[in-house]
Amino acid sequence: MFKKVFITGIIVLFTLGSICAAFASEGPAGNKRKGKYTYRKVVKACFDRGAVDSETPKVSPADKKQAEWTAIFEGKEFSVFGCDQEWAGISDDDALDIYSYFYNFAADSPTPATCK
Amino acid sequence: MGKLKSSQGKLILRICLTLIFTVGILPAAFAAKKVPAMDEALGIKLAKQAVRADKHWTTTDHSKMEILKQPFTSGDQITKACLSCHTDASMQFEKTIHWTWKVPSDKEGIMNGKAGHAINNFCISGNAMEDKGCLSCHAGWNGTEGEVNCLACHGAEKFNYKEAFEDLKAFEGDKDPDTLELAKEIQTNVSNAVNKITLPQRENCGECHFKGGGGDGVKHGDLDTSLAEPNKMLDVHMAAEGANFTCTRCHTTVKHNIAGRLYTRPAAAERKSLIQDDMATKITCESCHSNLPHKTDSKMNDHTDKVACQSCHIPEFARVNPTIMWWDWTKAGDLKDGKPYIVEGEFNKPTYKSIKGEFKWEKNVQPEYFWYNGSFANIGIKDKIDPAGIVQVSHPLGDKNDPDARIHPFKIHRGKQPYDKINKQMVAPLLSGPNGFWTTFDMNDAITRGNKTLGVPYSGEFDYVETTYAFPITHMVAPRENALNCTQCHIRENSRLASITGIYLPGRDRSNFIDSLGMIAVLGALIGVLLHGLGRFFTRNGKEE
Repeated sequence: MFKKVFITGIIVLFTLGSICAAFASEGPAGNKRKGKYTYRKVVKACFDRGAVDSETPKVSPADKKQAEWTAIFEGKEFSVFGCDQEWAGISDDDALDIYSYFYNFAADSPTPATCK
Repeated sequence: MGKLKSSQGKLILRICLTLIFTVGILPAAFAAKKVPAMDEALGIKLAKQAVRADKHWTTTDHSKMEILKQPFTSGDQITKACLSCHTDASMQFEKTIHWTWKVPSDKEGIMNGKAGHAINNFCISGNAMEDKGCLSCHAGWNGTEGEVNCLACHGAEKFNYKEAFEDLKAFEGDKDPDTLELAKEIQTNVSNAVNKITLPQRENCGECHFKGGGGDGVKHGDLDTSLAEPNKMLDVHMAAEGANFTCTRCHTTVKHNIAGRLYTRPAAAERKSLIQDDMATKITCESCHSNLPHKTDSKMNDHTDKVACQSCHIPEFARVNPTIMWWDWTKAGDLKDGKPYIVEGEFNKPTYKSIKGEFKWEKNVQPEYFWYNGSFANIGIKDKIDPAGIVQVSHPLGDKNDPDARIHPFKIHRGKQPYDKINKQMVAPLLSGPNGFWTTFDMNDAITRGNKTLGVPYSGEFDYVETTYAFPITHMVAPRENALNCTQCHIRENSRLASITGIYLPGRDRSNFIDSLGMIAVLGALIGVLLHGLGRFFTRNGKEE
């Protein structure tokens, strides 16, 4: 009897723990990989119309900390990137993906973006 | 009447002499202007001849190869496609130092090279390739594992394959139309990059060699990203408006073995002309310019048996980008709020990094000069050192009596690095990875782990010693008008060759005996002329009247 109660307890604890961990995970819920490519497309479009001098993005996630990116994306203050015209045209889903990319590779993230 | 005849005769004689002089000299002067090729130095003529046939062409268009059109999902797949035609390429490459990072030394049981027992005073050692931080420059897809990455040297497009393959794998199975579209796009980009095959270009070699030591221009001083597209002022050989050489024009290659290593094959052992052997394994200035490179009768030709061409023709190095001249490991490990930090200084370059210590960067650096016969004396991790003095980790060999030695310019990189206090040997701390110094900031532990990778015992006690590391300066050859002039060496004060002692250098050195002889000769001549003049003056005085 005690054994059954113990095992049930363990299972309940494990399940609760997993659910809590899943909900407790920080950061935006977008797709960071998609966000990286969407961001590059934004910069490329900007370059194609001659607004920037390189199609390689100048602003890197590692340029700021997670809290700073949160403030920028939640406030939709995209002027830091230049290319206002392109940023005005992107969907909320795309913006969320890009936010996820910047947040997950921010300077104080476990894996800050390198040159890649 | 007689006087009149005499003065007329003198006038006629003067006119005749003037005419003869004018008629003789003027055409010669014009001839020199009209036919400059006749006046071209032998060394330039030979160099033009040696490289005139260097026009590469190919019969293969890789973009038409079916095997390169497959949807690649890994680097190894790409290499297997290459090897389906170039069957022996990997086999050849894996025997070279570019793959092994090791080369046998003259000392028994010692291997030179980054993965061997050699050390330097930058990041110190490759720790037998256990330091994964170094492996980003290893020509494999995945460090030392798996296939050779042919595209590291033969890819015309700089493309991040690792990232592309990781992302493709992550998108696998995702049915979202946007993601599918993205995956297709990445795959297309991979294919486009794979199809652009080339002979090694400057960017291919430069990806590692311009950035040796951990960043642009850190290590060599005469090799940095400014050489990717240099102008003629920076390098007459590599400039597009100059000879437009790629690296492999001089670093000739046989079976993927690329000539140029210094401590494996002394330059002086083979002074072959390119006309004699276009694939000579060690090309020097002489290979194209001969040992009489200047105009006939030029005094400069008398220097070539003792002075390397580079000494005069590379007046300064790091002329566009700065290079590190001092690296102090004793300062490494300082943290702010428990975290590593970076201090940026002049040239927008770091002057301090917690993970590496303190640096000094310099630009337009005047080289130091030493006798050099093409070989180096190296201190490896197994050699005993004298920590009381400055340890020359790498220093050129040769002296004034060595017929193969020339006075050659060098970058001397100075620094302080750890050594084993008890065993009196240099040490090889492990730097990158979860247990490396860059993570733990524990130098003692890093040395213990690093020495273990090389099988070298460590006493457990370390201190720091000042060291030097010499790099021969041979790139960044300036236009001839910027070469050194005579008085930069042949001068009493601040001669560039002040450190070259034991020889008599006219202008720089003096001998009281020779100076006295010269003075006597000059004074004697003056007195002789004076006495002669006076004698004629007094003996002929009034005779004409």
